[in-house]
Amino acid sequence: MCGAGFGHFEWLAGGGAGQDVGRSCILVSIAGKNVMLDCGMHMGFNDDRRFPDFSYITQNGRLTDFLDCVIISHFHLDHCGALPYFSEMVGYDGPIYMTHPTQAICPILLEDYRKIAVDKKGEANFFTSQMIKDCMKKVVAVHLHQTVQVDDELEIKAYYAGHVLGAAMFQIKVGSESVVYTGDYNMTPDRHLGAAWIDKCRPNLLITESTYATTIRDSKRCRERDFLKKVHETVERGGKVLIPVFALGRAQELCILLETFWERMNLKVPIYFSTGLTEKANHYYKLFIPWTNQKIRKTFVQRNMFEFKHIKAFDRAFADNPGPMVVFATPGMLHAGQSLQIFRKWAGNEKNMVIMPGYCVQGTVGHKILSGQRKLEMEGRQVLEVKMQVEYMSFSAHADAKGIMQLVGQAEPESVLLVHGEAKKMEFLKQKIEQELRVSCYMPANGETVTLPTSPSIPVGISLGLLKREMAQGLLPEAKKPRLLHGTLIMKDSNFRLVSSEQALKELGLAEHQLRFTCRVHLHDTRKEQETALRVYSHLKSVLKDHCVQHLPDGSVTVESVLLQAAAPSEDPGTKVLLVSWTYQDEELGSFLTSLLKKGLPQAPS
Amino acid sequence: MDPECAQLLPALCAVLVDPRQPVADDTCLEKLLDWFKTVTEGDIFFPVGSLNLTPCKKKVWELLGEERSSRGTPGAVPLVTPGLGRPHRVQCRAAAGAPLPGGAAVPCAESPGPEFWGPLLLTPPGRNLRSPGKLLPVSSGAVDTIFSLQGDSSLFVASAASQLLVHVLALSMQGGAEGQPCLPGGDWPACAQRIMDHVEESLCSAATPKVTQALNVLTTTFGRCQSPWTEALWVRLSPRVACLLERDPIPAAHSFVDLLLCVARSPVFSSSDGSLWETVVRALSCLGPTHMGPLALGILKLEHCPQALRTQAFQVLLQPLACVLKATVQAPGPPGLLDGTADDATTVDTLLASKSSCAGLLCRTLAHLEELQPLPQRPSPWPQASLLGATVTVLRLCDGSAAPASSVGGHLCGTLAGCVRVQRAALDFLGTLSQGTGPQELVTQALAVLLECLESPGSSPTVLKKAFQATLRWLLSSPKTPGCSDLGPLIPQFLRELFPVLQKRLCHPCWEVRDSALEFLTQLSRHWGGQADFRCALLASEVPELALQLLQDPESYVRASAVTAMGQLSSQGLHAPTSPEHAEARQSLFPELLHILSVDSEGFPRRAVMQVFTEWLRDGHADAARDMEQFVATVLQVASRDLDWEVRAQGLELALVFLGQTLGPPRTHCPYAVALPEVAPAQPLTEALRALCHVGLFDFAFCALFDCDRPVAQKSCDLLLFLRDKIASYSSLREARGGPNTASAEATLPRWRAGEQAQPPGDQEPEAVLAMLRSLDLEGLRSTLAESSDHVEKSPQSLLQDMLATGGFLQGDEADCY
Repeated sequence: MCGAGFGHFEWLAGGGAGQDVGRSCILVSIAGKNVMLDCGMHMGFNDDRRFPDFSYITQNGRLTDFLDCVIISHFHLDHCGALPYFSEMVGYDGPIYMTHPTQAICPILLEDYRKIAVDKKGEANFFTSQMIKDCMKKVVAVHLHQTVQVDDELEIKAYYAGHVLGAAMFQIKVGSESVVYTGDYNMTPDRHLGAAWIDKCRPNLLITESTYATTIRDSKRCRERDFLKKVHETVERGGKVLIPVFALGRAQELCILLETFWERMNLKVPIYFSTGLTEKANHYYKLFIPWTNQKIRKTFVQRNMFEFKHIKAFDRAFADNPGPMVVFATPGMLHAGQSLQIFRKWAGNEKNMVIMPGYCVQGTVGHKILSGQRKLEMEGRQVLEVKMQVEYMSFSAHADAKGIMQLVGQAEPESVLLVHGEAKKMEFLKQKIEQELRVSCYMPANGETVTLPTSPSIPVGISLGLLKREMAQGLLPEAKKPRLLHGTLIMKDSNFRLVSSEQALKELGLAEHQLRFTCRVHLHDTRKEQETALRVYSHLKSVLKDHCVQHLPDGSVTVESVLLQAAAPSEDPGTKVLLVSWTYQDEELGSFLTSLLKKGLPQAPS
Repeated sequence: MDPECAQLLPALCAVLVDPRQPVADDTCLEKLLDWFKTVTEGDIFFPVGSLNLTPCKKKVWELLGEERSSRGTPGAVPLVTPGLGRPHRVQCRAAAGAPLPGGAAVPCAESPGPEFWGPLLLTPPGRNLRSPGKLLPVSSGAVDTIFSLQGDSSLFVASAASQLLVHVLALSMQGGAEGQPCLPGGDWPACAQRIMDHVEESLCSAATPKVTQALNVLTTTFGRCQSPWTEALWVRLSPRVACLLERDPIPAAHSFVDLLLCVARSPVFSSSDGSLWETVVRALSCLGPTHMGPLALGILKLEHCPQALRTQAFQVLLQPLACVLKATVQAPGPPGLLDGTADDATTVDTLLASKSSCAGLLCRTLAHLEELQPLPQRPSPWPQASLLGATVTVLRLCDGSAAPASSVGGHLCGTLAGCVRVQRAALDFLGTLSQGTGPQELVTQALAVLLECLESPGSSPTVLKKAFQATLRWLLSSPKTPGCSDLGPLIPQFLRELFPVLQKRLCHPCWEVRDSALEFLTQLSRHWGGQADFRCALLASEVPELALQLLQDPESYVRASAVTAMGQLSSQGLHAPTSPEHAEARQSLFPELLHILSVDSEGFPRRAVMQVFTEWLRDGHADAARDMEQFVATVLQVASRDLDWEVRAQGLELALVFLGQTLGPPRTHCPYAVALPEVAPAQPLTEALRALCHVGLFDFAFCALFDCDRPVAQKSCDLLLFLRDKIASYSSLREARGGPNTASAEATLPRWRAGEQAQPPGDQEPEAVLAMLRSLDLEGLRSTLAESSDHVEKSPQSLLQDMLATGGFLQGDEADCY
């Protein structure tokens, strides 16, 4: 760590989590190192705006030279969707860090999105499968709590974040300066994942998401009850329920929710999940079982929670089967593929229901039905009348206000930076953090830079010889009582060491020079010089009981290295000049003696 | 504008201007502005026909600038700046005391409103506005506002403000109300004068951000405006710019470099002007190594520049590598790199200062040289041998095998040992150097260092990937013995050493390495499959066997690469050794690959299999040629059931190849191509059609025509059109219209449309197929399919409907983001 130690935190292009599915992408400059946090995409745009504008990162040379590394917090596309574009099309060629589950699942979602972009929109200039693979080859997967040395100065460490399988918070550390980036996290365990956790790492800055900055937790339980009730009621009256979901993530949480309910209620109505994805999900949840919550881990040996008894693989012919059923189908915004196909088949029947468990961007059928449109224009000017019931229930796992406060309390940062949230909610949370936790809080808008000064602490190694010498003086070190230690500071090879002056001279091959300070003190004394010196000796002997005060045969007096000599100026026989001389080591003592003697000598007994 | 949109727009305007109505999100508003831009062709504040959009547009601008998106910047107004290459919404905020441009919340009589900003921002620089004079109210304080916005905390705003300033400058230089262009040497218009005063003042400022802003404005100006006045501008400002070199440290060095290069590139600038080159020469000696490199590279990329400067720039660029060579070369090395390159103390200091500064400097240097190498204007003579030697040395320093010749060398050994970053950059450059010629011993050295890199147990997966890529480039560009089909003298020995290393890498625990090794194998055998030396070395190794085993790899990417590699090896008879003990392994690969196509849970290996099968069919591979009909029938049957549309689309590609082989190749549509006489089909048409029916091609193609995935349907449509064209030449079958099969065909189509298979494969009669082909409006279908499947949802009409519908439903719900 070098330089003045100014943190530089750039919120490059983020997204309001509210009514906008944003692009999370943050540039952090810490003690001369540049780290990009997340590389998300915006699903609401079909043009260049879907990706962050990376030209803002640096106009000074190549990105690979400028950035020391990229860190991806989890596999959601608003956090990793632009990664293949960034690494294979923009040309970043440096390391990318993410957890093992994220590395495994990320390409599936990217591939899924690519297929939709190419299939549905016919986009030609989009990243290819090969690009996704080449991008994933640049990934360095990390374990939780493993300190990874990016280079000699920069290290990162991942902490469990909940939210989705493999989601992690990252601590980025350069010397004594550090930043924690939370990504998306959840502070309360859910049905398949545990709660986020971080140690008291006291970073200079905590960058936290604030999606649910004003939400209260209980509402989630209510939503779950409501969800089950609605599904149950629909199938009871013979209707079909369509739940559009993304391949991996919250879909598994909803599956566990329904599976448990079906088991408890002993329901026989079939539940289906898009073919191929159940196996894939099972595979990854089995592979990364340590990333799930305690309950699932414990019962895993007896029963794998992800091998569902009631949920079966879906075949497109099933959509026409008579009778009730529940189908989880992809993609989640009803913008292509199987979910849209089923929706078209079922939309005309008022007994059926579609439950949208996540946000939909404009330009999708999901967005249309959520905004209450009931007559949808299809290709060839056909009109689809939506008679089925449409429900929206959010099931995403973000920390609520209490959770965010809890995390800030756990990590004890010097400052907090809020991202990934709506301005109004962030403002509320900012005040709460500042008032209750007494921590300064920032909430930069997209493209804004926040600069935080830090006080870098510079570690100094002390030589054993010096320590031993100090110990030999009989004073044992005490944690609560700081002590002064004298030595010579050597700066060599970017290291600082405190050694004894002798050792320093030896190491640096220098000859020793003595430096003495001399001062004249005028004393009013009519006696002879020898007598004055004797009086000085007696006075100092009585005052400095702990020091070695000597009267030398030549008439001079010494106190440690301080030498005192009395002389008589020829012009004034009533005044004596006392020459006080000391080495720089006894600077303190020399100054003390000078000031003491300036006060004059005590009256001699008459 | 569509009548439907025109109908919806007044209602939307009413919603937008009504403060009680909920507003659509930022994405919708941005899309609305995009649409306004397209319908009004960049002039958004002029009425469209009878419909005046102005109030609506004004409202959109206000909404975009509201607190919701800009956070605590009341009265902000968005600026859409097309000059950035893409529209950026930015918030223009008021600096203290400055009037707000168009701020609805803070009305100001003096400030220009959207009427000013809109056309200004939406007009590309250099394009005349209707009356620019009227649009440049200098006294209004608008320009002052832009000045203050240059220092905005938002990167987007600051950048947009700088570009806007250039825009205003360009417009003002286009002329006043009279429209007369300003001539160099004449009086500057008042607005331009103010901007230049501001730039001059900023250049003299002690604050680096101010200097950066001024330099960026100038760079943008010289980059975009090529009118003669820019030369006058440079004449006026160049002394101030040159003065920056006298400061220590030089402020905003990278912006300074950008400006110099931009001016040097400008066509308006007279290349004989010595003052620019003088400044550049000074800069090359004053700047630190971080900025010297980009400047030197920029100079070398210029088309016209003094030769002496080019020589100096090249020396600067070579400096770090020269230092490395000097520090390690025991005896005098090859001439070229070290000639005339004095030991630069700053470069040495940077190399020795710390690990990161050393790695940074070397990486930048290698990248610059890599960029320069393929350019026609690269310096000549190009010191290929020295560069190769230096790159090999850098790699040896990284793997710890270099012998230092001085204390600097010893230090570099310690600093670079195990430095992955430098290794990657050096391998990239080494690969590029393969394009040039070099002495034999250097080629040997390059191949040796690559082999060491591939062999080293410490090499990271990314380094190994780059080493494979560089090795491939060297191998493929290696000189061959003239008049001999075999590889050059060096290669056979190298291959014998390479394959054991490749074997090791095929068993690497990281999937990335196994995959890179397979990709390397595929490429190498694609190019050298016919070379005896290569075949001999490959078959003597266990590489084919290991590649075969990787068909069962747990990682799908590796399985896919193994499929491609084995497909390639098999095409060239290299998938197993010829010895009798390997007879089992030499068996056909077809069942193995078919099994993958049928059961693999991941799409990549299945797609790879389809590509291999298509290649096999095209090239007449033994497995495909043995019983071609059976081969195609089996593959199509499996592919048609696949859930991955790319596998199905690839199935159609295979079907097309089969069609071509049965009925003759597709006709060329190129009007300039020489029309070759039609190749007679291999067999009579009815027979050919029967074969196509037999393999189930029609079932597959007709089902695919109604596939829910558009590319599949598109491909099928193309295939059927090709088939129809082919058949059309046969008069005997052309008039079968209205026959008994037509009715049955028409009855079958809806069932296909519903995704059901009409008949068991092979049961189709050629006549029925022809009837079906005739009854389909394939041209119509093709034009429908040409539109993206979400064209309805992303139409302006849909956007307006969505914005109108926004409200009630979303309001009560919790915001969500996955």
